[in-house]
Amino acid sequence: MTRRLRLAAGLLVAVVTLVLPAVLDDSALAVYILLGLAAMVTVGVSLLMGYAGQVSLGQGAFYAIGAYTAALLALNGAPPLAGLVAAPVAAAISALVIGVPLLRLRGHHLAFATLAMQLILLSLAGQLEFTGGDIGLQGIPQFGVGSFEATSASVYAYLTWAGLALVMLVTHNVIASRPGRALRALATSETAAASSGIPVGRYKLVVFALSATFAGLAGGIYCFYTGYVAPGSFPVLISIQYIVMAVVGGLGTIWGAVVGATAITLLVQGLDLLASLPGMPTYAPSVLSYAVYALVLIVVVLFMPHGLVPAVSGRLSRKRARTPYR
Amino acid sequence: MSAFLTYLLNGLAVGSAIALIASGLVVIHRVTGVVNFAQGTFAVVAGLCTSSLLGLGFPHGVSEVAAVLAAALAGLLTGLAAVGRPGTSPLSALIVTLGVGVLAYAVEIVLWGDQPRSAPGLAGSVTLVGARIQTQHLLVIGVAAATFVLLALFFGRTYLGKALTACASNPYAARVVGIDTRRMGLLAFALGGLLGGIAGVLVTPLRPISFDTDVTLIVNGFAAAVFGALTRPVVTLAGALLLGVAETMAAGYGYGSHQLEVALGLMLVVMIVQAGRRSTISQEST
Repeated sequence: MTRRLRLAAGLLVAVVTLVLPAVLDDSALAVYILLGLAAMVTVGVSLLMGYAGQVSLGQGAFYAIGAYTAALLALNGAPPLAGLVAAPVAAAISALVIGVPLLRLRGHHLAFATLAMQLILLSLAGQLEFTGGDIGLQGIPQFGVGSFEATSASVYAYLTWAGLALVMLVTHNVIASRPGRALRALATSETAAASSGIPVGRYKLVVFALSATFAGLAGGIYCFYTGYVAPGSFPVLISIQYIVMAVVGGLGTIWGAVVGATAITLLVQGLDLLASLPGMPTYAPSVLSYAVYALVLIVVVLFMPHGLVPAVSGRLSRKRARTPYR
Repeated sequence: MSAFLTYLLNGLAVGSAIALIASGLVVIHRVTGVVNFAQGTFAVVAGLCTSSLLGLGFPHGVSEVAAVLAAALAGLLTGLAAVGRPGTSPLSALIVTLGVGVLAYAVEIVLWGDQPRSAPGLAGSVTLVGARIQTQHLLVIGVAAATFVLLALFFGRTYLGKALTACASNPYAARVVGIDTRRMGLLAFALGGLLGGIAGVLVTPLRPISFDTDVTLIVNGFAAAVFGALTRPVVTLAGALLLGVAETMAAGYGYGSHQLEVALGLMLVVMIVQAGRRSTISQEST
């Protein structure tokens, strides 16, 4: 795409993003907020999996850590802003601690280890006293800064999408930098990367922590928006959902993560509407969403391994490259 | 002392069931290089089928065999999705089997609902050297032992088994001598489904199975399989028995709520120790 076209597209997206919270009703706004939060986590997954080549099936764990951190702080009287700042920090610190032993694994070993991490965390959260056990934490105060209190959903929508913009900006700068190229190198071959002087272990740990930070931030916003957190809010399926979104949009592309999150969220929402029509069995919503996640994942991995965004932009640029010769 | 012995025997039974799931993982991974995330699903499918067939009035034996065959069919279908298309990398195939597992959720809920189901097994219990053990537990141990012997004979003595082993050790050379590696991959998946199915049929009378039980099953199976680095069946068997005994002991001596953590913690430790012992370059070449 030419620079001008790209700028125009970016402006259009920005304007639509900013206008939407003002025009949507509350139920649509809920979808909009959850979409933004999912996109925030998915950008991290896309960076970790597509760029650094590390699979994490436990990204939901960091989402949960962020949510629980913010919730616990807010319930114990800390200002909500402190909770929101602490959420990504706590997620990053846990990723650094967990990552040191875990990132020595690779491929399917790492996938299973991250899954195990999430299962252990959920099981602990369901048993410990201070996390409220299986019931979880309820009555989390509204988000606010100073005397201002977020009472309407549109405030959360702006907060979410501002967070997403920040996350995308950070990711863009990481990818464009020298360490970004190093990450791509170590995804291809760790041995080759290490022999050309890239501190492989440290870089993997940092990118793991960065993707956890994004998930933690999303979790922090989530807990203020919904007002409660429980182990049941973060099932293993949520981590798989982020993988589906990242793979569908296109791994290793920032916009791919957003497009993937949007496509999957809207698809599942549409099917939910369909499933709640009169005459549908009660299990229809869950069955349809499982089936959609599964089929989309299988079809995209097998037939469109690079995802939607690279496929479309590749076709566009090929077409544009061809025109001058005609 | 008799309590200890009871826990030990029960643990061996749990371990045998884990070993069957793990052996399915090992067979599939050896032949195709794919870690099959849907391995727990096969057990769930078989368990749910048994409960339905018994409920419809089919006799024991017939129901169990039909359920195991259904699981083998599920294995074959999973294989078609995961390795049926040439050029799918093992990591992509892992994600495909993950997708198959989630797809199975949808099918299972439509067919069986989302409530746990159980099936009657062998009733009664026997007393062995002062330790009471349920007959079903003994059956699990016996069937698992027989299955492992048959597997060893199959891989060691039959042409088909040797062809599978050839694919495992060197796919290129196997193709050169005229072995269809794709068909062998599908066969390995069907065999994995069969093994998972046997485990499911045996476990259903012991603890009720619901559509999402597969996560616990696959995690336990994978934990056992990593003991044998996903390639060595005998070490896998030892790992599974150790895991089963450790879990049962933890439950018996009052840490019942931490069973899952015990299994997962063991798996993580083993994987990390193994990763530290192998060099990066040998891991990248495989």
